[in-house]
Amino acid sequence: MLSLTSPVRTPYHRLPAGPKLLVLSLVTFLLFAVETWVFMLAALAVVALLFAIPGRPFWTEGLRLLRPVSFFVAIVLVWHIATGDVGAGVTICLRLVVAISLANLVTLTTRMEDMLDVVRKLFAPLRRFGLSPDILAFSVALVVRFAPVLLEKGSRLAEAWRARSARRARWNIILPLTLIALDDADHVSEALRARGGLDTGY
Amino acid sequence: MEKNVVLIALFAALIAVLGMIPKIDLISGVPITAQSLGVMLCGTVLGARRGALAVLLFLLLVALGLPLLAGGRGGLGLFVSPSAGFLIGFPLAAFVTGLVVEKAVGLPLAAAAFLGAVLGGIVALYIPGIIGMAITLDKSLPEAAMLALPFLPGDLIKAGIAGVLTSALAKARPEALLSRAAH
Amino acid sequence: MAGVCYGKAGVDILKDIALDLSVRRVGIVGRNGSGKSTLVRLLCGLIAPDRGHVRVDGVDCFADRRAALRTVGILFQNPDHQIIFPTVGEEVAFGLRQLGHSKSEAQQLARATLDRFGRADWYDRSVQALSQGQRHLVCLMSVLAMQPKVIILDEPFSGLDIPTTRALRRELDGIEATLVHVTHDPVSLADYDHVIWLSEGRIEEQGSAESVLARFVERMEREGEQDAFADFSG
Repeated sequence: MLSLTSPVRTPYHRLPAGPKLLVLSLVTFLLFAVETWVFMLAALAVVALLFAIPGRPFWTEGLRLLRPVSFFVAIVLVWHIATGDVGAGVTICLRLVVAISLANLVTLTTRMEDMLDVVRKLFAPLRRFGLSPDILAFSVALVVRFAPVLLEKGSRLAEAWRARSARRARWNIILPLTLIALDDADHVSEALRARGGLDTGY
Repeated sequence: MEKNVVLIALFAALIAVLGMIPKIDLISGVPITAQSLGVMLCGTVLGARRGALAVLLFLLLVALGLPLLAGGRGGLGLFVSPSAGFLIGFPLAAFVTGLVVEKAVGLPLAAAAFLGAVLGGIVALYIPGIIGMAITLDKSLPEAAMLALPFLPGDLIKAGIAGVLTSALAKARPEALLSRAAH
Repeated sequence: MAGVCYGKAGVDILKDIALDLSVRRVGIVGRNGSGKSTLVRLLCGLIAPDRGHVRVDGVDCFADRRAALRTVGILFQNPDHQIIFPTVGEEVAFGLRQLGHSKSEAQQLARATLDRFGRADWYDRSVQALSQGQRHLVCLMSVLAMQPKVIILDEPFSGLDIPTTRALRRELDGIEATLVHVTHDPVSLADYDHVIWLSEGRIEEQGSAESVLARFVERMEREGEQDAFADFSG
């Protein structure tokens, strides 16, 4: 499965994941604590620069990931123009764009495995409560493996439906798809036990 | 042990897939994805604890940067976006949904699943969702609640579907319905 | 391999099966619902018999899972039910980790296994990007990497095209370990040492491949002319 990590190699790829995430959380906290538009504008300039340094394709990728936010930006602007408090509206929108872009920057430039290593470290104290970080990592691998498998089976179901119906498949295919997930769970856990299961110290 | 881990992982995958299948037009012009239906099903089928874990696992993958959220979205940006509260509400929603189905043993399964989906998938989901929008968009809670209102009809229909699907699943695989299994 | 087993589960899927085998190539044939897959699950210790006992190379695979890993490996019918990890390398290394190898050892052994099959470049390949036949090969390599004494094949060729079947068969023929091949297709067992014919949970017949298969084919064709769905039990 495709992860969102950018194929464009940037200098940021080489930075370690842990500190990147730490800086991200601190800056995000600051963005929500400081209310002035000057600060937001300065932050926007820095983020824009960060996206511009690796070159044009990376810049485009950053913009593409912002598209879902445009809906909220539009709503907020319309709202604040209606209430006459445009300055506050602009500050809110700037903050949204900066916070989300910065988080996207980390996502784009951090390999999933490195991210997972950070999670594993964060989860290590939970071992005491019986949640092993290895099982967590194992579950992540299982989802990465089986989401495409289920998607393919879902598309087959939709095709089978369309082969016998003029209408498009709707929620009717969710029932068989859920049954497939349940049955697959049976088979996979059996295959897992055939190779030693999870108790043998994996 | 294996069975639980695998079930949780496969339902996390199922939530992802339900966000990817083409949008469903329930009422004309209101396209909704089945993703939050997946969250409800996690609760009604797997029960409170396993259901919430499946949703948490799904969120972890989204946070790690996999484009599993409806519309191919993913990454850390979502968790500071206005929909962040809804994401954080997802596991809570599955937990409450599952809890209702587990506790309301007196009700027929379809009714319990519908009630659970309403209390979990709507009430328990909208509260953090609205708080999240209020914070990120700097709005008061009633104002943010108004922004969530357009999604209510679709989610009510999904709760209905969750009820019907759950009872159909129970008929097809009685042993698989862990929310009603003997504890 | 010595195994005497009586098994039944719920509605008597297997009734008083007794087997004692010591040859290298064993085939098991039977119709859908004859109890083949239950027998397979008993052999590799995924389920326990209600009565009687199962031993493979002296190991009770249900009770002693650790020993079972070194004794029996199973190749399931559908690779999508078997492959647990997103990349080929992780998949092959998983079983090795289960045997107690360290992470780096397991990775090294996994690479060696891939290399042995001329697929060294598959290590980082995504399973999703492989064809059905290639995924079958990944399953086989994962099992072989663990070097079990007995390998059970549960309908390994169903749904594969002829060249893929040939290629997979060639790999299987070269295997040192004992093979137990379960199928409804008699052709793939022609050169096996011993064939067991299961019918409705009992051993209908067993013996040399030639004689058992000939009678099996004859019976199947006769039943096919009658109503094949009449006694279909799933």
